[in-house]
Amino acid sequence: MTFRLQLFLILGTLVLLTVIYIFLKKSLLTVKYSLAWLGLSLALLIFAIWPYCVYVIRDLLDMVMPSNVIFLLLFGFVLLVLLSLSVAVSQLATKNKTLTQANALLEKRVRELEKRLFKE
Amino acid sequence: MRILVLIPCYNEEANIVRAVRRLEETCPGVDYLVINDCSTDSSGEILRREGMNYLDLPVNLGIGGGVQCGYRYAIANGYDIAIQMDGDGQHDPAYLMDVVRPVMEGKLDLCIGSRFLKKEGFQTSFMRRVGIRFLSFLIYFLSGVRVLDVTSGFRASNRKMMEFFNRHYATDYPEPEAILSASLTGYRVGEVPVIMQERQGGVSSISAFKSIYFMVKVSLSLIISRLALHRNKRRTAQ
Repeated sequence: MTFRLQLFLILGTLVLLTVIYIFLKKSLLTVKYSLAWLGLSLALLIFAIWPYCVYVIRDLLDMVMPSNVIFLLLFGFVLLVLLSLSVAVSQLATKNKTLTQANALLEKRVRELEKRLFKE
Repeated sequence: MRILVLIPCYNEEANIVRAVRRLEETCPGVDYLVINDCSTDSSGEILRREGMNYLDLPVNLGIGGGVQCGYRYAIANGYDIAIQMDGDGQHDPAYLMDVVRPVMEGKLDLCIGSRFLKKEGFQTSFMRRVGIRFLSFLIYFLSGVRVLDVTSGFRASNRKMMEFFNRHYATDYPEPEAILSASLTGYRVGEVPVIMQERQGGVSSISAFKSIYFMVKVSLSLIISRLALHRNKRRTAQ
């Protein structure tokens, strides 16, 4: 891994971490959903600072370029983050459905109560 | 026995009044609830003007979420049997009690009105019959329960079944999945013959374009729910 790539990775990761920090501070992002992103950027930072980990993984996977190892792992991390987002969306959809139903049931009760009040 | 008819309604301005009036004439002792799934036409307006008993969903949930809401209502209001009936005039209320009877007598937990048992009345297009037959075979293969008209939305459930549907009900195209999950959980599912009409107006919720998505999605979710559930011992009268 060249020094320039290392430097570029460190810079990129720091930018990512800063963006996450700002989002958290402005509460555009909740801590729960930032964890996956924080994990991803931390892993990237470790790779950039200690390229030795990358060399070990490269030898284990029998790859040629250390940079390819980083791409591969990064892609894996992104897949994990996307999957966790799909889980979050599904959970939200279920909650949304339950809320919509509860709202409709309440609306009917209110409508009927109003009708009864009107009559009296 | 208190019976509630659930009528899901999405953009049925052309049919809904006729369907409800016909139900009131044919089965006077039965309550009904129209579930307006955030229709974009004047269905909601019509329901209000006609003073019908209806639920107004603030967000479109699709047939599954709407019907599930109806089951929640039925449970909250102490009904013994809930029966689903389409609001487009396909399901004739004259057969309502035929579908309810096996549930009322305690023979079945979920009873489906089937247009294929006695091949009379509207039988739908050839391609749809092929699709329905495939799903029917898939359900038989996965659960051992033989139901011919798996997509029929004319179905009666007892209290236990309603409580199950209140907890688990598929969202997109829920009819076949409900049969499978109910029978795998140990509920008794069966069907009785009914005669269906061709819909009287409006458009079907399943267009030709969506039917491929329908087949793939339903087959996949059937297989997944089979893998997720373990078949319980049948709760028959042994």
